[in-house]
Amino acid sequence: MGQASCLDALDDGALARRVAEAGHAPDSPAEAELYRRLAPRVRLYGLRHLRDRQAAADLVQQVLLMTLERLRAGKVREPEKIASFVLGSCRMSVLEMRRGTRRREALLETWGDMAETFEAPEPLMLDPDRLAGCLDALSERERSVVVLTFFADKQADEVGAALAISGGNVRVIRHRALARLRGCMGANGSGSGIER
Amino acid sequence: MTCANPIDFDSLVAYWLGELPEAREATLEEHLFGCAHCSRELEGLAALASGVRAAVQQGRVSLVVPGPFVQALREAGLHLREYEVDSGGSVNCTIRADDDAVVSHLRAPLSGVQRLDVVQMRGGGEPDVRLADVPFDAQTGEVLVIPSPAWLKTMPAFTMRMRLIAVGEAGESEIGEYTFLHAPG
Repeated sequence: MGQASCLDALDDGALARRVAEAGHAPDSPAEAELYRRLAPRVRLYGLRHLRDRQAAADLVQQVLLMTLERLRAGKVREPEKIASFVLGSCRMSVLEMRRGTRRREALLETWGDMAETFEAPEPLMLDPDRLAGCLDALSERERSVVVLTFFADKQADEVGAALAISGGNVRVIRHRALARLRGCMGANGSGSGIER
Repeated sequence: MTCANPIDFDSLVAYWLGELPEAREATLEEHLFGCAHCSRELEGLAALASGVRAAVQQGRVSLVVPGPFVQALREAGLHLREYEVDSGGSVNCTIRADDDAVVSHLRAPLSGVQRLDVVQMRGGGEPDVRLADVPFDAQTGEVLVIPSPAWLKTMPAFTMRMRLIAVGEAGESEIGEYTFLHAPG
């Protein structure tokens, strides 16, 4: 069994334990694998709370480099609960970013060399031609709801106010439209319409 | 990559849009951070949201939209060319390379209308396209139509007609017809 497939078999907690046990003689493959796994989750958290791609990318570096550094230093009390540790760090960092107390320059100053060591997977991308075709295949009402919802990430009540229908009605139309779109795209993140 | 207790997609959508109560959101985030399967599902949703946004910004879709959405397009920095046409009227129109979209304001008496359809007649042997149950603003008396800018930019000079059809329990009635004389930009 190769090293990569050996790491694949470890869950996140076991991987974090392995990084922690290596201490300051870094287990580079284990660190890279942990970074690769957790980066999409941190990026999504950043996108959800900051609504900004660059800020989300900064959050990934800030949180995960700090996490690896703390694991190496033995400062993560329960490496098996690494997911909770990373989530807590995300929450703190987003608060700091909102207050404007963290800047990209400070991030690079702190983690500059280490930042170049790790790579996060590219975000998923949809085939734009296929998506345009799938949007076209929706009914006018469904397309309106989907576009109004996701152009600026609007909640059902806001979309309903713009379309003069109730928020509940928007949720029903949104549910139906997204099911159709995902079916059309071959969704669940693994269909042929989605690629890295 | 499986999950014994996967988060349903509607909950992921509600989470993404900030619709969940705080406690439920916190629980869901705990699950997402520990679950590769569910975070992958959320990534698919984020890709869909981003793809929809890009499709609009790149002019790949035709839309009939409410007024606040046109305002959102302006606020997003899109360059809009706008035409206002009264019922029975016609307008010379175009789209230039630096236009992100053309917005047609179709004016009509819309008070009391329950459902409104738009019929687009492109001529040249192309079949009519009927857009059913479109958004409209009865107070301002406007229907806002945005043809796909990517498509419009490929078009030579042509004439498009649009008809507004009110649909109610008593049947259908035409409440406006509009003519667009398009010339390439």
